[in-house]
Amino acid sequence: MSSNDILDMYIYETNSLLEQLETIVLDAEKENTFSQDNVNEIFRIMHTIKGSSAMMEFDTLATVSHRIEDMFFLIREGTMSVVKEADRPALFDVMLHAVDYFREEMEKVEAEEPLNKDVDSFLANINSLIAKIKGEEPAEEPPAAPQAASAPAAAPAPAPAANAGSADNASAGAGNPDFPYELRVFFDDGCGMENLRAYMLITSIQSFCAEADFLYDPAAVESDASTSEQIIDNGFLLMFKNAEDREKSIPVIREAGSVHSYQPHDYVPAPPQEEPEEAPAPQAAAAAPKAAAPAKSAPPAPAGANNQQHQKESLISVGLSKLDQLSAIVGEIVITEAMVTASPDLKGLHLDAFSKSARQLRKLTDELQDVSMSLRMIPVSNTFQKMNRIVRDMSKKLNKQVKLTLIGENTEVDKTIVDSIGDPIMHMVRNSMDHGIEENPEDRIAAGKDPVGEIILSAEDTGSEVIIQIKDDGAGVNDEAVLKKAIKNGIASPDVEYSHKEILNFLMAPGFSTNQQVTEFSGRGVGMDVVKSGVESLGGTVSITSEQGRGMITTMRIPLTMAIMDGMEVSVGDSIFTIPINNIRSTMKISSADILHDSIDGEMVKVMDGYYPVVRAKDFYNLPSGTDEIEEGILMWLESGDVSYCLFVDELLGEQQIVVKPLPAYVNSFDIKNFGITGCSILGDGNISIILDAGGLFAAARGA
Amino acid sequence: MSAINENVLFQVEEDTPETPSAEESVVSRKYLIFITDDLRLGVDAEYVVEILNTHTATYLPMMPDYICGIYNMRGQIIPIMDIRRRLGKPSSDIESLLVVLNYNSTQLGILVDSVEVMLDIPNASILPIPSQSAQKLVSGMCTLPDGSGTMLVLDCDQLIPHE
Repeated sequence: MSSNDILDMYIYETNSLLEQLETIVLDAEKENTFSQDNVNEIFRIMHTIKGSSAMMEFDTLATVSHRIEDMFFLIREGTMSVVKEADRPALFDVMLHAVDYFREEMEKVEAEEPLNKDVDSFLANINSLIAKIKGEEPAEEPPAAPQAASAPAAAPAPAPAANAGSADNASAGAGNPDFPYELRVFFDDGCGMENLRAYMLITSIQSFCAEADFLYDPAAVESDASTSEQIIDNGFLLMFKNAEDREKSIPVIREAGSVHSYQPHDYVPAPPQEEPEEAPAPQAAAAAPKAAAPAKSAPPAPAGANNQQHQKESLISVGLSKLDQLSAIVGEIVITEAMVTASPDLKGLHLDAFSKSARQLRKLTDELQDVSMSLRMIPVSNTFQKMNRIVRDMSKKLNKQVKLTLIGENTEVDKTIVDSIGDPIMHMVRNSMDHGIEENPEDRIAAGKDPVGEIILSAEDTGSEVIIQIKDDGAGVNDEAVLKKAIKNGIASPDVEYSHKEILNFLMAPGFSTNQQVTEFSGRGVGMDVVKSGVESLGGTVSITSEQGRGMITTMRIPLTMAIMDGMEVSVGDSIFTIPINNIRSTMKISSADILHDSIDGEMVKVMDGYYPVVRAKDFYNLPSGTDEIEEGILMWLESGDVSYCLFVDELLGEQQIVVKPLPAYVNSFDIKNFGITGCSILGDGNISIILDAGGLFAAARGA
Repeated sequence: MSAINENVLFQVEEDTPETPSAEESVVSRKYLIFITDDLRLGVDAEYVVEILNTHTATYLPMMPDYICGIYNMRGQIIPIMDIRRRLGKPSSDIESLLVVLNYNSTQLGILVDSVEVMLDIPNASILPIPSQSAQKLVSGMCTLPDGSGTMLVLDCDQLIPHE
């Protein structure tokens, strides 16, 4: 593993921890308290960040996380009751601030920029909070106080004593009468970074042993690389208060990498045990005051260690390009399988064994395909959850009461999409917070709305595209104001009459910002057009609908770039098209008498209780062949979003699961997407079918 | 697949030392020479992925008439262009070959009447086309070393526009 890999790992790990932390804090804020589980979790997160940051030599990060860890140590010992009601908002703020701080620093680490060295004011914040928590403590939980108080100082305090001890009589076993149970660990010769390895040991031991219950020497392993030599010479000395803790740490040490040997021995004058590794367990057992104790306490420890290891192994990161390659090959296999099993050479032959194996093969390839497709899919929940934070921060700063409702956050979409929709969604949520929701709750009440504003963020997978909606119940768009502004900015012309829809589109024009004042959150005039270009780069579209006084809805439709889809194959002459099953309401045979004509050569048909326009695929696409007789073809009633119409085709060929392939870039440069052609798919016989987008097709047909 | 084909081309290049060693300093490139509508065109062999003699184009609506459709080359979807139509000529019924090009990582198949030969052509011998000429899609021309005629160099930049 190169140092770069380690750094990547560190960034990845820290960022995911931060995400966890943020979710916990946001949830806890709603409850106005941290549950004991939460406290433990935060403690663990901070601990890990501290450890890994120190290992990567990001001292400021380690210092800050250390202080937060201290703070949560106090809370853990004394439960949430040590934090006064009045201090809780400050605690949540500090925690969120910390999340931001770490995120910023992570970005810097990633960009290889120098870190922010000036953390004093932030540290002071934390310290004052710690002081407040402590101030309350003795009254409520006296026994916790001394322990807790010593915890922050734990690292530096024992250092001089231990150092002195080790320098004088390291070989005889230094020691501290309070921590009589010692364990001396030697690392493999020349394994390097002994101090960090030692630190890793401490970290693992801390997972089951309170910090106040053991000491180590040299104490400065975390920050001082020169301690390495000391460790090489004298070994790394661990001193425990309780024998049980030492017993528990033995398996941990045995599991740790590069440990050459270890010797347990007691501070009370006992002859040092010379044989390492061979029979540590019995020795340790003898050393323990209660023989039964280690037997009982030892098993859980290895289990815990194994668990940890297991967790680490269950996740690996894989390059997207590899996944792409995999899905491409799997797609090929599926097609090849169909080519083999449906080979024309086999026609008329009765091959029982062959068909049986072929069926088995089909089942396996289907499974393989499902798995390979799911590899790239991740739920949008992460992106959605982030909005909680934005809404929270902005409601505080803008003094608006808003709740965020998430719908369909488990919708799974391609990783690339998830990565790129984050910013557009954030812009829209900010926009809604800033411009959408009314300034005063009174205005809302006067308008007959709940005084608490609501923003609904929803995701839906329609089979061919993901629809993401950001909906607020705020004031909506003021057409006049927008138009005025658009004219002022030279986007609109004062002499033209614009429709409501056109006016809404001005919002997405570059350099447009309706808010009177530029605020911290939005109104730099770049928001909406960034959203638009961001979504368009994914091949999607953005539309805005709004009703004054009722709010605004922004809809992003993003095609599933790489998807497997259920489609209906239809033919028009020689051409084969695929229509997503989800868009089909029904199909029907009708006679030409059922067709109604309107004044502009349009055709309509009455289905159930409504009239729907008819689009003839052959005419619309100027296809060279296909039937014109209504009686010979078939009518498909399609629906997509709010459009509903009938498409006339020759014949239904059957339903099929298809792999969506994007059209070649060269072809896309001819704006073929605007005609409802979104992609293509390779059929079992090697032919290509063209995938139609029901909504796009109708929009184009109506426009034409 | 394309890697294999590139390999093949590369091997061909390795064989080139047969050409007069005195001209080693001359920078030359390989060109694939093909005939379409009695025009002898050459395309830089670096861009040629492969030559196919059977193909079925799937008609793609709403495209310019010179795009015959798309073709499934072992799972890759490749647009097919009728070079005759692209040059403004009527298409013919002659059985044609498909030359698959890869230029700036855009793939395009072009229909040609026949493929002649692969030749090394010194860069210096390629001359610009007369500015008065209205010949489309051509970036230069040269007389073939064996004196058998003139070759027009197909301009992939014009053929395959990119952003």
